[in-house]
Amino acid sequence: MSGSENEAVPVVECREVTKVYRSMKAGRPASVCALDKVSLRVGNGTIIGLIGPNGAGKTTFLSLIAGLIFPTQGFIRVCGHPARSLEARRSLGYVPEAPAFLVRYSARAVLKHHAALHDLSRQVIAAEVDRLLAQLRLEEYADRATGGFSLGMRQRLALAVALLDHPRLLLLDEPSNGLDPIGVIELRRVLTEIRQSGATIIISSHRLGELEKLTSDYVFLHQGRIVTFGGQAPGGQSERLHIELLPGGPEVKEEALAPYQPLEKSETRLIVAVQGVTDVPNVVSSLVGAGARITAVALERRDVEQTFVRLYQERAP
Amino acid sequence: MKACALMVETFLRKASIRLVHLSWLGVYAAIFLIPMPPDSWPWGAFVFGWSGCLLPLVLSAGIFGDDIASGRIRLLVTEPIRPMELYVYRFLGLSLQAAVHLLAAGALILLLHRLTNRGAVDRFATWMLASWLIFNAWTALSTSLSVLVRREHNSMLLVLGTIAVVFPLYLLMLFFENSLGTKIYHEVLCYAGPPVELLGRLGSGQYSLAGAVARVAHCLLLTILYAVIGIVLLDRREFKYVAD
Repeated sequence: MSGSENEAVPVVECREVTKVYRSMKAGRPASVCALDKVSLRVGNGTIIGLIGPNGAGKTTFLSLIAGLIFPTQGFIRVCGHPARSLEARRSLGYVPEAPAFLVRYSARAVLKHHAALHDLSRQVIAAEVDRLLAQLRLEEYADRATGGFSLGMRQRLALAVALLDHPRLLLLDEPSNGLDPIGVIELRRVLTEIRQSGATIIISSHRLGELEKLTSDYVFLHQGRIVTFGGQAPGGQSERLHIELLPGGPEVKEEALAPYQPLEKSETRLIVAVQGVTDVPNVVSSLVGAGARITAVALERRDVEQTFVRLYQERAP
Repeated sequence: MKACALMVETFLRKASIRLVHLSWLGVYAAIFLIPMPPDSWPWGAFVFGWSGCLLPLVLSAGIFGDDIASGRIRLLVTEPIRPMELYVYRFLGLSLQAAVHLLAAGALILLLHRLTNRGAVDRFATWMLASWLIFNAWTALSTSLSVLVRREHNSMLLVLGTIAVVFPLYLLMLFFENSLGTKIYHEVLCYAGPPVELLGRLGSGQYSLAGAVARVAHCLLLTILYAVIGIVLLDRREFKYVAD
């Protein structure tokens, strides 16, 4: 596949994906619908935050993309290949919520073992292992048995394993679990580097503040359905631009601000809905063009946590 | 590289595996120290039972079950490797361990036999071949079972299952030896289960060359059948998140 074809093919494509878990409870068959007709297309080089309350279907969604479980209905493609196929698995790296390794293997041995499963040559394996130990700052622990690793250390090692052979898609299930604040900063640094290399990352996390610093797009899942998906704070909520004006200036007409919507308007104060910080110069130049005299501008960022709580409360029974 | 990594893993995955090999070999050496082993002690038959039938249950305990229970399988099956490769290379790792183990056991027994002249080593090479074949059959059955059950329960289940099917056979043979039901039950166990009895006869030289070749082919086919079942199960199995 050529580079341009790679660009055109979505990294993840889910169409009408439903997952129903069936089990026996008290001798009777029981079923739980974990995902309900989820459709999604994810392009290259983005970091998607997967958010939702417990039981929303986040881990199920990641597991389906990783090919660990089968959809009850619908289909999933990874880089144009059916999920679970060898080609799809070659394109992705996956970090589970609680990674486990052979306890007798050192971090270096674990990396070598997984690199061998990619069928890399001996020389490439040695180079990849050294690169990842350095990138994840694991050199100090490289020759220690993983049985003595904390959860945070295992998370870092699992991320190193997932990054073997430069995957185009990285799936992270609660990657900051067990990480100390320095570890979280390190994780952010590594993920930013990976995004810059053009890979797509999908992160499921409860640490919403952490996601906000990393992700460009969000998928809010609730009771197995995608409530919102977009390149802004979930729920399609705009950020608010507060503008202070000198009194006595000309009245600012709504048309002058188009396509932006004024939310509040008075002689000295204007609040405009914007998508983000990149819209601020456009709004300011429109106002200046309309003759307004601006004394102060402030962008009120609506954080993910607030929006998550609002969306959740809207849907709570 | 992946074949090598997975085969080596079967030996390194638990500290107990080296101890098992050493203690199994230690038992062979210890028996020579017993003051009066019978002169007719058939070493080949003993190796067949001790290393051929019991060793695979210990070595293959939790071979997939441990990974499933700990959640490690979720990392393994997202790597670019086919379930068939994952199964086959692990099986070959165990089979190779058995070959080395049997060679070491054979060398040890022949050396001690030469030094002490205790026991009998008649048809020893045939018994070694039979031991390796039965090891493979038990290993394939146990490995396939470990895809279904968590932790090392595959071996325990196999032991209990074997007792559950063999004990009634002994009772039937005791009380209804000539009945048709007993004969059918016996034949089914003989040909569909791990061929312990048939390979035992092979080891003790009860077959002609053609018969021996047929027994070897039968055992290899059964091993392949057990393995195919395990590969299909591994391919179709879901690996949901479970906290260890």
